[in-house]
Amino acid sequence: MKTHILAFTLSISVCFAARAELKFDKTELELHPTPADKQAVGHFTYQNTGKQPVHLKSVKASCGCTTAQTQKDEVPPGEKGEITATFNIGDRTGTQVKTVTVETDDAANPRTVLTLKTIIPQLLEVTPTFVFWKQGEKPDPKAITVKVGKEFTVNHIKVTSSSPDYQTKVEETGKGEFKIDVQPKDTNSLTASTLTIQPEDSQKVFYATARITNAPTAPAAPVAPKGPVAPTTPAGQTH
Amino acid sequence: MLALVPGMGEAVYFRHNISWRSAIPPSELATVAQARAWGENVIWVDARPEDEFARDHVPGALSLNEDRWNELLPQFLASWAPGRKIVVYCSSLSCNASREIARRLRKEAQLPDVFVLEGGWEAWLKQNR
Repeated sequence: MKTHILAFTLSISVCFAARAELKFDKTELELHPTPADKQAVGHFTYQNTGKQPVHLKSVKASCGCTTAQTQKDEVPPGEKGEITATFNIGDRTGTQVKTVTVETDDAANPRTVLTLKTIIPQLLEVTPTFVFWKQGEKPDPKAITVKVGKEFTVNHIKVTSSSPDYQTKVEETGKGEFKIDVQPKDTNSLTASTLTIQPEDSQKVFYATARITNAPTAPAAPVAPKGPVAPTTPAGQTH
Repeated sequence: MLALVPGMGEAVYFRHNISWRSAIPPSELATVAQARAWGENVIWVDARPEDEFARDHVPGALSLNEDRWNELLPQFLASWAPGRKIVVYCSSLSCNASREIARRLRKEAQLPDVFVLEGGWEAWLKQNR
């Protein structure tokens, strides 16, 4: 009986001593890109602290906006490496949390979830980004509020309407806020405009849409505003 | 005390499987059946990446994702009219894209009647193909 217990204890000890072990320095990273950055890249470094090679079976990101790359599929004992997670910022705002799941043949720890937290700085917060009037409604001005992000200073903004059918007026309301009054010339026809909002001394551009909509619940005959990316003749007023 | 051990072990082992986000309130969810019952009065919004949208999508759906939000939003708004309901979907229950798009439509564009499709694209496929 004693021999059995000894053999069992020995086999367990050997298993633990010989096991593979992939240890990540950090499984959570916080990134702070600048407003101009298009991507945020996180480097999750690891080391095989075990005595057996570790094989990376799969590395998968939680969404299409994030890609994850590994330098190698096999990590020999003692070797270091990293998994690079690239988050495409696109037109996202605020705090974005994405994960990368790493699966290995390490029996003790077959699955590790790496978390990439990206804090996207918001230069301007535009609310609402859409103002509309029902066809035939009185063409009173409607307000759009622009708040400057806490960590930024913006003294002036420039607003351009893609359509001459809409007028805009910018008013600085203090405390890093602006008010944009948008007013259509009339609401008889189904017109639309893309408003381009640009802080001074910045290449970053923000958008809002103004439209005259048709009657409620009727299937819409789409009237697309002139494109926001490359607005054609900005015939409206600028401020 | 001993009886709690397996449960605690399971909680630790599966800790990464638990969503870090809170559930979507039921009032902001729509089932496939509900959305279909709204008929022509609904605008379907596909929040998946564009290559997935290009492969297949709900008939008449508009692509709106955060990769090209600034460019796609005006195109979506051109189809919107007061009284129309908006149903946003992405590729599975676990994805956050539809939730984020719905949140931005409500908060930033201040549109009413924005719903997330329960079960996402897979639920629509199951009931329509």
